[in-house]
Amino acid sequence: MIKIWSMKKNEDAAAKRRPKTSAAQIRVQKDLTELDLPSTMKTNFPDPSDLLNFTLTITPDEGMYMGGAFTFSFTINTNYPHEPPKVKCMQTIYHPNVDLEGNVCLNILREDWKPVLNLNSVMVGLQYLFLEPNADDPLNKEAAEELRKNREQFLYNVKTSMRGGHIKGVTYNKVLV
Amino acid sequence: MATENGSATSSDWQDRYYHVDQILDRPGPRTDPSFLAGDEVKDFLRNKCKILVIGAGGLGCEILANLALTGFKDIHVIDMDTIDISNLNRQFLFRPADVGRPKAIVAAEYVMKRVPGIKVTPYYGKIQDKGDDYYLQFNLVICGLDSVEARRWINATLVNLVDPENPESLKPLIDGGTEGFKGQARVILPTVSSCYECSLDMLNKPTTFPICTIANTPRLPEHCIEWASVLEWPRARGDEKLDTDDPEHIGWLYSIAAARAKEFKIEGVTWSLTQGVVKNVIPAIASTNAIIAAACCNEAFKIATSSAAYLNNYFMLIGTEGVYSYTFEHEKRDHCPVCGGEALEMSISREWTVEQLMELLTEKQNIQIKKPSLATPENPIYFQQPPQLEEAMRPNLEKKVSELVPDGGEITVTASSLPFSLSLIITYV
Amino acid sequence: MSSQDSQDIVTATTAIESAPDAKTRRYDRQLRLWAATGQSALESSRVLVISASATSSSILKNLVLPGIGHFTILDHAKVSHSDAGNNFFLEGSDSIGKYRSEEAVRLLSELNDGVEGRANTRTLEDILESQPEWITSFTIVIAHNLDHSLLHKLSALLWKDSRYPPLVAVRSAGFLADFYIQFHEHTIIESHSETSPSLRIDKPFPALRELALSLEYDKMDPTEHGHIPYVVILVRALEDWKKSHGNSLPKSYDERQQFKKGILALKMKGDEENFDEAEAQAYRCWTETKIPSEIAVLFSDPALSTDTLNTSTSPFFHLLAALKEFAAQSEIHTLPLTSTLPDMKSDTQNYIQLQRLYKARAEEEKQAFKSYLQVPVDDAMVDSFIKNAHALVVLRGKTWGAFDEDKGALAESLSTMPKETCIHLALSALSLLQASDTSVSPSAESIRAKMQSIVGQSIKLPDEADDAIGEIARAPFSELPNTAAFLGGMVAQEVIKMITKQYVPVKGYCVIDLIETWTGTIGA
Repeated sequence: MIKIWSMKKNEDAAAKRRPKTSAAQIRVQKDLTELDLPSTMKTNFPDPSDLLNFTLTITPDEGMYMGGAFTFSFTINTNYPHEPPKVKCMQTIYHPNVDLEGNVCLNILREDWKPVLNLNSVMVGLQYLFLEPNADDPLNKEAAEELRKNREQFLYNVKTSMRGGHIKGVTYNKVLV
Repeated sequence: MATENGSATSSDWQDRYYHVDQILDRPGPRTDPSFLAGDEVKDFLRNKCKILVIGAGGLGCEILANLALTGFKDIHVIDMDTIDISNLNRQFLFRPADVGRPKAIVAAEYVMKRVPGIKVTPYYGKIQDKGDDYYLQFNLVICGLDSVEARRWINATLVNLVDPENPESLKPLIDGGTEGFKGQARVILPTVSSCYECSLDMLNKPTTFPICTIANTPRLPEHCIEWASVLEWPRARGDEKLDTDDPEHIGWLYSIAAARAKEFKIEGVTWSLTQGVVKNVIPAIASTNAIIAAACCNEAFKIATSSAAYLNNYFMLIGTEGVYSYTFEHEKRDHCPVCGGEALEMSISREWTVEQLMELLTEKQNIQIKKPSLATPENPIYFQQPPQLEEAMRPNLEKKVSELVPDGGEITVTASSLPFSLSLIITYV
Repeated sequence: MSSQDSQDIVTATTAIESAPDAKTRRYDRQLRLWAATGQSALESSRVLVISASATSSSILKNLVLPGIGHFTILDHAKVSHSDAGNNFFLEGSDSIGKYRSEEAVRLLSELNDGVEGRANTRTLEDILESQPEWITSFTIVIAHNLDHSLLHKLSALLWKDSRYPPLVAVRSAGFLADFYIQFHEHTIIESHSETSPSLRIDKPFPALRELALSLEYDKMDPTEHGHIPYVVILVRALEDWKKSHGNSLPKSYDERQQFKKGILALKMKGDEENFDEAEAQAYRCWTETKIPSEIAVLFSDPALSTDTLNTSTSPFFHLLAALKEFAAQSEIHTLPLTSTLPDMKSDTQNYIQLQRLYKARAEEEKQAFKSYLQVPVDDAMVDSFIKNAHALVVLRGKTWGAFDEDKGALAESLSTMPKETCIHLALSALSLLQASDTSVSPSAESIRAKMQSIVGQSIKLPDEADDAIGEIARAPFSELPNTAAFLGGMVAQEVIKMITKQYVPVKGYCVIDLIETWTGTIGA
């Protein structure tokens, strides 16, 4: 065998043992411990020793979704940050960019994800959806249509849905706090 | 049975290694002076060297055959897959009758039958099933994988294995990969040269489409297929797991995608494209795998025998337009989360609390970390953020470090003032 | 296109396909590279390989697996002890004493039922003398470490007529190797180039121009506005620019920046990706759509002259002649439009509408193109030719060994690519030395002297020569399993490209160094 160890002697920094913690785990630790969340966002870890599965609750303090509490599940796999976290809305909500199955249309969760982004960027992006719902590239087409064509009706629908009411045969979850 | 000088066994007929021995009997102009030509190196290669092959697929089949012919006689192979008909255009150790059987087992049987006197030990399962002791038994590891995740895992495992007290713990990792007419082979000397994680941002990301495009403004056949697999599958099939190898599942997705394409007047949804998109199928041919596997095995041979200089450290091949290749040294990344960063050994009293340790980290001259967060590989100890975790872990501040971390155990420290992380090896006085 | 194929296309577009058959599934991963056309070319090919060495078997393995039609191994030698040790397609010591070709054919044939394999135990000398037409009946001929004078005879035979098969000459010793493909001419339609054809934004066809001029930004709601395809935005922006700038394009750097700013100023909202795309693609407005220079060169190809172009000329040159005529006759002197539109931010309706405009126009131009064809060519080939017209390739080669005769070219190559050239020369020297005396290992001195005689006494061999010479002298007769496997992949790859006429094969000598692990190409 070649004598690799002799090459190693010159490398002082490399002479120490490495931790057993996976790269994904360290990265999640770094992301979480450097979170800088406003009071409108709260994380919840059902099992504080499992950092890869948690929820985020957003309680917008302005905009048309003010007064609601919206909860998203975060699932991070061991290929993070090569792969983005998987995020789903846990409630049935009336929102142009969230469908009834809880899929969320946020570019950095799919096509624009890059390993330099972090959990903070995803959370801020989610909050932005409640302040500025985007009617032009919707997931819930009917909600988007309403927002575009009849803002008043849309606002009314948002309020109805947040109270747990029905709109066009769909029952929404009550999210009022 | 070994002969006196240990270089030949009963299965070795005369001149069996005529070709390889020409290299092992004398040095060449680019051979390291430490090379000891002759029986000793042959004995090491044929009777002592133990090599692990990860993956028994396109690259793995080629790697196993090459290693066996080169004279490696104690070969282990791990693969968690079974044989599919689409493997047969390149995975040449498998026949149609083998479809459904474990790749590692069939490949091992075949190589042992074809190349007498070679022992190939298969393991049908995941690399993650095995621990440090398992990996420590090998001299070299060759990887022929198609998964980023598995590569990151084995890379990190081999980097972590390096023990400053034990030179044998440093296992060279040779990694190959192919896609169509393109491929790459590289040599990773854990902690010495650039590792797999160092080059993670060189990887191409598989194409993904915005979910709103899929839902509302499909333009391409791929958009229709993703609509079927991402949105319609969970809607219609509930919790049933999508199995991209199940023809019924692919058929279902295909019919849904085709109907949507028809509705939007989009052309080009086919069975083959459906399968390609949902499985993220990567084109693969025998010839590219042969090139890359041979390059990997050649490095293993040179490293095991010191008979010639080895690849430093990355070979990239593009065969679409003529033969273009590029050999270069990929640089180690300073803040690589796997092989970079720093490790500090800290000796503290068994009576010390977590809070005391944190104060030390904050104040000690050569460290001075502002607001450190601490975790062991198993459990977080104290996190500055988010508030819920901070609160949940606050009681830990009062606890003794020795209750949470074993002697010689590790703590990962992160802080915004650190480029990535710092690991502490804790010993008690 | 066969009636079977056209039937398939009809079925595919009108009905749901059922799951693919076993053969399609088996070849799935390669069909994604060369499609059914490439596969059928492979399946009708007949490959002759001379010698059943480890390298030859490795090459064949990588051709049998993807499914060539037929292969023959020509080798009269019996399996030696050393053969049995380094060739995976022999059964260890059980094969010793049997014919190499028969053993290798038997074991290679197990890899794929669809491939026919034959062993031939005659000598090449004999066949060259008595039955050369047997050799020329193959699609391609591959020879590994063939005796120098026999290789010369073989290459001379295959060079005699441009219709004879290409020859791949492969040489290796220890960690070093090279190979060369001898062919007269090789034409490629499907080069799988990564460049894409022009979208004609700077020279819009009438329907595209009309569509762009019909845009009324101020009457659009934000959704419509955010989904106009960038192609239309750019055509419109360029029309507007020309109107206000005396019909000229944005020329200077400043003008171009201004043009780009103008595009962004059209945004209704900051996050309109289609306008961002338009800005990013703005260079298309001042990159003139014209005949690419590589294609313009082909228009003066001697094969196109009226006295050589006749009914026996390959369809490729008839298509090329038609392309030249099309370009000359077209108002804007361009290649025919292709209907392939890249994906872009848009809604379905706008995108499909735009795609249809391109398709309709492409169909018109295709009809015009076809009117210039002097012979009938099947429609699938015409479509493929137009689709790839911006990336056609015509390669013309030289006979094997011509490089070693050309002292000027060798001297030039030694100064620009010394490492590669020295390995090539050392391999040439080895084969010359072996031809004169096969019994002794050549010394470093004799290899150096032979290299010197090839390049001429006036040329000084560079320092890199020592590395090549030393390595050849170390292992002159060594066929390492890994080198054989590496070459097996490299050569098979090039043979597949030659047979399928897809992708671009290497031109010149591909030199391989498996010590530092690199490849290079010289003597093209």
